[in-house]
Amino acid sequence: MNIIPTVSEIELQGRFDAHEAESFREIVDGILANSASLSVVLTAVDFVDSTALAELVRAMKRCREAGGDLILVKPSDPVRVILELTRLDAAFTIT
Amino acid sequence: MTETDLAAYRHWATTPLQTKPTYSVVIPAYNEEWRIIPTIGAIATHMCALGEPWEMIVADDGSTDSTVELVADLGLANLNLLVADANGGKGSAVRRGIFESSGEIVLFADADQSTPIEQFGDLLAKIDEGYDVVVGSRAAVGADVASKSLSRTIFSYGLKTLVQTLFRIPVSDTQCGFKMFTADAAMLLFSRQVIDEFSFDLEILFLAKKFGLRTTEVPVTWIDAPGSKVDAAKVAVEFVKDLIAIRRNDLAGVYATDNHHPDSAGVKAGGSIPSQTNRQAA
Ligand SMILES: Nc1nc2c(ncn2[C@@H]2O[C@H](COP(=O)(O)OP(=O)(O)O)[C@@H](O)[C@H]2O)c(=O)[nH]1
Repeated sequence: MNIIPTVSEIELQGRFDAHEAESFREIVDGILANSASLSVVLTAVDFVDSTALAELVRAMKRCREAGGDLILVKPSDPVRVILELTRLDAAFTIT
Repeated sequence: MTETDLAAYRHWATTPLQTKPTYSVVIPAYNEEWRIIPTIGAIATHMCALGEPWEMIVADDGSTDSTVELVADLGLANLNLLVADANGGKGSAVRRGIFESSGEIVLFADADQSTPIEQFGDLLAKIDEGYDVVVGSRAAVGADVASKSLSRTIFSYGLKTLVQTLFRIPVSDTQCGFKMFTADAAMLLFSRQVIDEFSFDLEILFLAKKFGLRTTEVPVTWIDAPGSKVDAAKVAVEFVKDLIAIRRNDLAGVYATDNHHPDSAGVKAGGSIPSQTNRQAA
């Protein structure tokens, strides 16, 4: 029997910037190989730069192409404000 | 708690200040379309949570990308965007921003959030102790530098030694883009300062010492943000030339206290030298 998870969750902490983009992508790609949806908990993230935002957008597109979604879970205040200022709050599903 | 912080931000974002700001944050920006919006978001959220009136000043430096349009489009009520026709160098951008500021305490911070704004309070604590100039320092004990490349490390070590021997400035990192001033100190220093390029920082610290302002440094975290437009080797050469220029200017009386930078015309606190009694450098 194979158990295939359909929604996965990861939690990020600290600063999510260009230095983290590659390892984020690797982990996310690994998860999305088996799952169409992904929840990313952003409560403990204090900063996202444009590269990090681009990674989130990329992951979101991938999920949606597979019929799932990328969900941003409880972003911290700064992350919420950055999403608003970049108008990406309208593009993402944010809880 | 977070509800009220977010509410404070929303109020700041939509309602022009009715009072004089306590804090001004100046961000020089040259072709920062990729980096500046997240920085503005992080700074605004953190500063609003402090609960004091504050203003943000983005001093464009003749950007040729969409920096100006992007920042203007944010429509933030307490963000003052200063647009320059041509690129004049970081020193000129910071100077314009400082002269436009009206806070009691002024911070300038780079557009890439390489020193996280969370460290504002550490610098402020030193102003509260009575310092006039507080600089973030990536070299001070306790500083945490992420992914600084080797060439940069050697470069900054060389600069540090040079600066300390030549100028005896009590600061181990003159170039960190995170510096705080009392308004009086800021107006005084920037009205005398003449270097427009990257060594303006050094000139500012030289002048602070010359004028007897109390200067100190605070160790800061610094994350080398990708996208720096600075060529370390080229800057090193310029820096050494500027070191010599500062000395020469000083000998020629350029920093004499009745010389004011033309940009400072109309600046209220045009800047007076502190009285002899407190001219003791810390
Ligand atoms: N490179 C550069 N930066 C400028 C200029 N004018 C203002 N700046 C700003 O100065 C800050 C530092 O620039 P950056 O390239 O990040 O230098 P670094 O952080 O020291 O590597 C940023 O906020 C820039 O937008 C300029 O003429 N050239």
